[in-house]
Amino acid sequence: MTLKRMTFLQHLLDFMGLAGRLHLEWISSAEAQRFVATVTGFTETIRRLGPSPLRSAALRRYDNISAAPVPCSGPASLQPPAMPDSGIQIANG
Amino acid sequence: MTSIQQQVHTWLEEGRVDIFLAYRMVEGHPLPHAFTRERIDETDTLVTGPARYSLEKFATHIASRYPDAKIGMVARDCNQRALNVLQVWNQLKPGQVDTVPVNCCPSLLKPHADCSYLEPKPAGHVKLERGQDPNQSLAQADTLPRAERFDRWMYEFSKCIKCYGCRNICPVCFCKDCSLEHPDLIGTGHLPPDIPIFHLVRAVHMAGRCIDCGLCEDACPAEIPLRLLYRKVNAIVKDLFGYETGSGDTLPPFSILGDKPTMSPQPLLAVSQE
Repeated sequence: MTLKRMTFLQHLLDFMGLAGRLHLEWISSAEAQRFVATVTGFTETIRRLGPSPLRSAALRRYDNISAAPVPCSGPASLQPPAMPDSGIQIANG
Repeated sequence: MTSIQQQVHTWLEEGRVDIFLAYRMVEGHPLPHAFTRERIDETDTLVTGPARYSLEKFATHIASRYPDAKIGMVARDCNQRALNVLQVWNQLKPGQVDTVPVNCCPSLLKPHADCSYLEPKPAGHVKLERGQDPNQSLAQADTLPRAERFDRWMYEFSKCIKCYGCRNICPVCFCKDCSLEHPDLIGTGHLPPDIPIFHLVRAVHMAGRCIDCGLCEDACPAEIPLRLLYRKVNAIVKDLFGYETGSGDTLPPFSILGDKPTMSPQPLLAVSQE
């Protein structure tokens, strides 16, 4: 079942443009070397792919939203209040 | 009295169904309505036309409260597929819903067609430049370079106002506890939604369920091309497991283990260098 779901998700992520960042492997607790090889290999893969585009996409959106409001030319009391903290959490890749 | 009004009238009178779900003209608007034997004269106001609603969703609500109710409804092809899925997922008993087929998608054999999706909205220039054209084919959506594909989908998702309209209208969304509202998973009350997680969670849950009716895209106020996304979901399910959602009464691949494994994990790097 896990295999079905993960394979499906790999295809879906590829459709969205996020390929190669999801990996599934069965490793027994007795297979230490295989664990090391898998993690090392996958780390290399991720390094080759570079930083996750999710992070930069989140930052881009944050920039759009928190863009400074257009200054209005009235007295200071009419100036728009400071933008509240929008509470956006930047997704970790 | 039109023939369909006559038919519904007869069905209610004879007791073939206890309640009949269809559309009724109210103040010039076709609205979903439940016709009953007690108010049988209302069948005079029953209308057919391009208006669509997930009537089968009402049917599941009625069936959960009154398990023995005999329910009738007008059904297009998409309604019929949804009913098949709801039976497979044990939301309706087989034979509990009796349908009157109505006009639907056009074909060479059936020149007259009624559907609110018949004339998809053309994409404007901003959408063509930055987003995903909802009218493109899956093959077209797949040919763009990965980075561009990602940017375009993220642009579409970033418009989401988290209104839950896609989930609420969805005929096959029946879970009592929805992951999209669960405080530990997505949670409510926070805007903007976490993208693309919000949309991908929904897409994953559509695997083996989505019947491609397009109501989610019709309902979306931000015009996110959800139908295109879920079409891909269906295509993956079909390619990987040979399962056609809504076509029959077989269980979806994610509900059965099978007697022997038929897949193996994907290779470590299935990415072509672009």
